[in-house]
Amino acid sequence: MLAKVSSFGLKGIDGFPVEVETDITNGLPHFDVVGLADTAIKEAKERVRSAIRNSGYEYPIKRITINLAPADVKKEGALYDLSMAVAIISLNKDSKLKNVEDYCYLGELSLDGQVKKVKGVLPILISARKLGYKKFIIPFDNAIEASFIEGIDVFPVKSLTECIDFLEGKAELEKVKVGNYQKEIIAHTAVLDFCHVKGQERAKRALEIAAAGGHNVIMIGPPGSGKSMLAKCFPSILPDMTFEEALETTKIHSVAGELDLKKGILAIRPFRSPHHTASTVSLTGGGNGSKAGEISLAHNGVLFLDEMPEYSRHTIETLRQPLEDGVITVARANSTITYPANFMLIASMNPCPCGNFGSKLKECTCTPNQIHKYLAKLSGPIMDRIDIHIEVDNVTYDDLKNGKEEEKSSSIKARVDKARDIQLKRFKNTKIYYNSKMGVAKTKEFCKLDKNSDDLLRMAFEKLKLSARAHDRILRVARTIADLEGEENILPQHIAEAISYRSLDRKYWG
Amino acid sequence: MTDKQMFLIYLSQFNLPIKKIDEVLDLMEYPSIDNFVKLKDLRQIFNSDLVNEMIDRAEDRKVSMYFANLRGNEITVVTKGDENYPKKLVELPDAPYYLFCKGDLSLFDSKSISIVGSRTPTNYGRIVTDRLAGELAKSGFTIVSGLAVGIDSIGHRKALEVGGKTIAVLGSGFNNIYPSEHSALAREIAENGLLISEYCPSVKSTRYTFPFRNRIVAGLGDGVLITEASAKSGTMHTKDFALDYGKTVFAVPGNITSEKSALTNELIRSNQCVCVTCVEDIYHELGFTDEKKEKRVFVQLDMIQQKIVEVLKNGEKDIDSISRECNLNINSLNSYLTMMEISGIIRRMSGGVYMLA
Repeated sequence: MLAKVSSFGLKGIDGFPVEVETDITNGLPHFDVVGLADTAIKEAKERVRSAIRNSGYEYPIKRITINLAPADVKKEGALYDLSMAVAIISLNKDSKLKNVEDYCYLGELSLDGQVKKVKGVLPILISARKLGYKKFIIPFDNAIEASFIEGIDVFPVKSLTECIDFLEGKAELEKVKVGNYQKEIIAHTAVLDFCHVKGQERAKRALEIAAAGGHNVIMIGPPGSGKSMLAKCFPSILPDMTFEEALETTKIHSVAGELDLKKGILAIRPFRSPHHTASTVSLTGGGNGSKAGEISLAHNGVLFLDEMPEYSRHTIETLRQPLEDGVITVARANSTITYPANFMLIASMNPCPCGNFGSKLKECTCTPNQIHKYLAKLSGPIMDRIDIHIEVDNVTYDDLKNGKEEEKSSSIKARVDKARDIQLKRFKNTKIYYNSKMGVAKTKEFCKLDKNSDDLLRMAFEKLKLSARAHDRILRVARTIADLEGEENILPQHIAEAISYRSLDRKYWG
Repeated sequence: MTDKQMFLIYLSQFNLPIKKIDEVLDLMEYPSIDNFVKLKDLRQIFNSDLVNEMIDRAEDRKVSMYFANLRGNEITVVTKGDENYPKKLVELPDAPYYLFCKGDLSLFDSKSISIVGSRTPTNYGRIVTDRLAGELAKSGFTIVSGLAVGIDSIGHRKALEVGGKTIAVLGSGFNNIYPSEHSALAREIAENGLLISEYCPSVKSTRYTFPFRNRIVAGLGDGVLITEASAKSGTMHTKDFALDYGKTVFAVPGNITSEKSALTNELIRSNQCVCVTCVEDIYHELGFTDEKKEKRVFVQLDMIQQKIVEVLKNGEKDIDSISRECNLNINSLNSYLTMMEISGIIRRMSGGVYMLA
């Protein structure tokens, strides 16, 4: 007796169809799963048997063979439990199950027959919809996650009994209602808001520019000056994610099992801050099963590297290619997976090992050689990808106590949104979305300077001894500043402001 | 070239202490390489390994190879007694017998001032050094210093920047510039100024060579200017040498709360030096009048720029304070400050602090 039931597997952040073929024959009682299954799947036999028995169904005392087709692709996780149980029950002599093949089953079983949540439901449903699958039975806990996909029928179940009753036609299941993404956005209010940051006006302004143009940022300042606080507030001024962006990011988080299932979708841009002891693989992705790394989890959001020079040099260097391309290809012997990794980098660092170089409150105790070595940890190619440098110093008591109302993130965000709209229009029909991604040719085309601005820039290079690599970056940042002001052309004051964000190019370090 | 000159240059490759050279010269009526290797007492003065090497290197072929090598690297060696030898050094008790030089030898006898100080200056030290070195170099003074990081290099760089002259005295051989990141600066000084060392090119610096070369730094200047130094600074040596040689020491006063100004304040307090608050103090003491001095050009400032200048008159400020005190929003203030910086009215220092230039 043979039954075929559909399910799905995951490869990277894409799903692929898996057929759960179940064969029951006479012979010594035995349960075997074949088809490159990992240990979690092999152990399914214990869960499936107990779940079927404890739900009150008959478990055949026969030889059961289950094949997960295609048999040459590795499969992982416990999401096939439900499909196996349904297949076995459907092969009972007196089974009244109807239309078993119409559905696609995902779900892990507990011994008492409850259906438990699984990872990666969203990416599986998206892939399945593309392939023409229409009806799904999934764990109840994953229902909200599934609600953001239109055009398919999704039936959430809490237990195996519920599922079987539904298939037998004894009970009705309520379809998942299509979720409202806009509502989710409004519901997510950022906890940290720029109005909680006192002082640091220049830093806030610089972050506003960074958000508007998608520029990578490095903050330099002594310990306790508020670098991390500023960084954590940063997502609150980023433009809302479009639905497509949100789906893409949610996919990665869903596969990694990091998704908040009560919300179901990531409506706020992710903010990832791996500790500086992070291994290279944890950042880029890889390891057993080529899992997504921190930079992919930060896709469409922010990757915050606190104390950047403390990371191992090798780890930082691996960011070079993803910073440029927005994707990372994790190649391992048994699989090659490309993850999206389009993130904004916010780095912070102390100006020297003791942290107080240039501080107005404390004296630096480092030798010039130490400072030189510390700064040299950031290689040229990495610095080349960072447009804005912000110096942050300790906030004075005056700043803390002045009664001035600090600007709310929402009003900064309004300006950022406007500037992004201008950029979207400018880069229509290209693959670029914001100024920081302009290449050499685009920079030339869109960052034309009039004579005054050009003179100013030339003077600045001579007088302030900027390094040559600063040139294009200043132009791009100036373009963003002009967009923020709603100016068509780059004016001298925009150039002047952009120059003030290139402090690491200046010679007074070390 | 006289035999004595040849002999001293030949000796320069062995990195001998000055006292040993004194001793050898005392033994010889007519100093030359030939007479030197024939000396009976040679093995009593030097250890036998060194003597063997000396005799080996005294071969005509090897001597001329050494000379050719120096010439090939554009190194001139001036020896005590040469007409090129700096007159300011001749009288010193421990004057070097030879100096390896790269660059313009005429700078030895120009009017000059040595600028020394901390290797880790504060913003204040940087700006004071920058300002004084700039004005001194512009009015024709050669800036002498030791190519170290901090005050030394600020002095050298400023002199080069304003088109003035500068001499750098190394504590190592030319092939081992220390710190290595100043190699480019050393090259620039060799081209536009003068780079000297009493050590042969292959010698590496040790903890003793730096204090020792300070006597040359002190000796080459008509005066020694200390802009910022803490109590235990290496600048102490330079100051002691300068006072021994009877040179005028100038010191810039600093905050009494700043450790980095402890030495200069102490020098002023104990009347060992001339207190300097502007470049005229130095001119006055050295009996120099600057005819060329350009009248300070006042740039026409607009309302906002005037406001910013007013605020900065009370000392260095960060941008948030300026913004608060001038009541300006940060966007326009940012570009104002950069423009004022480019026109040379204000300076931006590390930590994002601004001060009047």
